Amino acid sequence: MASVGAQPTKGRRKSLDAELNLVPFIDLLSMCICFLLMTAVWMEIGGVNVKQLVGTEAPAQVSNTYELDVKYVTPQALEVNLKRTGAKNQVFKINGATNEARMQQLRDDLKGFLASLKLPAAQDLRAQMGQVITTGRVTTKAGVTYGEVITVMDTLRDVGIVSLGLVPVRE
Amino acid sequence: MAQLGSQQLTVGTFQKHLLKRKQKKAGKRRMMLAGLTLTSMVDMFSLLVIFLLQTFSTSPELVMVTKGVTLPAAISAKELEDSPVMAISSDEVFVDQKLIGKTDALLKDPSPLMSKLEELRVQWQKAHPNQKFNGIISLQADKNLPSTTVSMFMGMLPTQTYATVQLAVISRGGT
Repeated sequence: MASVGAQPTKGRRKSLDAELNLVPFIDLLSMCICFLLMTAVWMEIGGVNVKQLVGTEAPAQVSNTYELDVKYVTPQALEVNLKRTGAKNQVFKINGATNEARMQQLRDDLKGFLASLKLPAAQDLRAQMGQVITTGRVTTKAGVTYGEVITVMDTLRDVGIVSLGLVPVRE
Repeated sequence: MAQLGSQQLTVGTFQKHLLKRKQKKAGKRRMMLAGLTLTSMVDMFSLLVIFLLQTFSTSPELVMVTKGVTLPAAISAKELEDSPVMAISSDEVFVDQKLIGKTDALLKDPSPLMSKLEELRVQWQKAHPNQKFNGIISLQADKNLPSTTVSMFMGMLPTQTYATVQLAVISRGGT
């Protein structure tokens, strides 16, 4: 048994130091640790939502919004197409040594495009990007892994483009 | 309290007496009685409890990762909705943890997969008679798989009116 405080003083005066029984406290803590360890979620699984194209969808109407096409030209190079009805397509080429470098370039290019539109300043740039670019499609290519496609979608979602699709490609 | 004749002894004094007697008997042998400092242990336990409580998640685990599937990581992941789970490993395809067939074979003839997806849709419709089918399906695919293979399977899903695909990823935290 553990105690808190010094030994009781000699004499008639009662010591003010109280003894604290630590055993039930340790028992409780041990039980808490066991419960929390057993119920702990070590790997949190989330989802990246993708809307697959369905044939019955209505054609896009003329609007001021853009559609984004990200296409793998080679496994190391991407082509980004921004389309708007009645306007010239804007094309960016993305070539980077690593996937991280390519994703950073994609992020920077999209932010640069949004800045070039000279829209009124907004506090939430992600929401503004979502209003300007309503949909995004990713076209993959043989030699590109699923993990790399997910990083593209993750980057697009991170900049604010939430409505995404993956174009089926036969190998 | 212990009474020894007319002398009143506390338990502590009696224990000391026994200890002295034992020491005398043992002679020069080293005393084996050791004190245990509990404070540091209680500190460590408290820290562990605080850490585990902070990382405690109240949301239920909706999906189990299928064996042979290494999920990719993403920072913009959302919480998964309850839905059927299709898993594509390097050589096999599973739906709700049940093996449907080999990946290559299903790409050539997807009818076993289609019938299973239809069965799940009919089951959902029976369970929710007055609701429109939500068309949500979760997809777990190995991060090293060719993206074309995954895209082909994803292209098959709208034929069974599964229009929203939740691509399962490991959440890295972020937005």
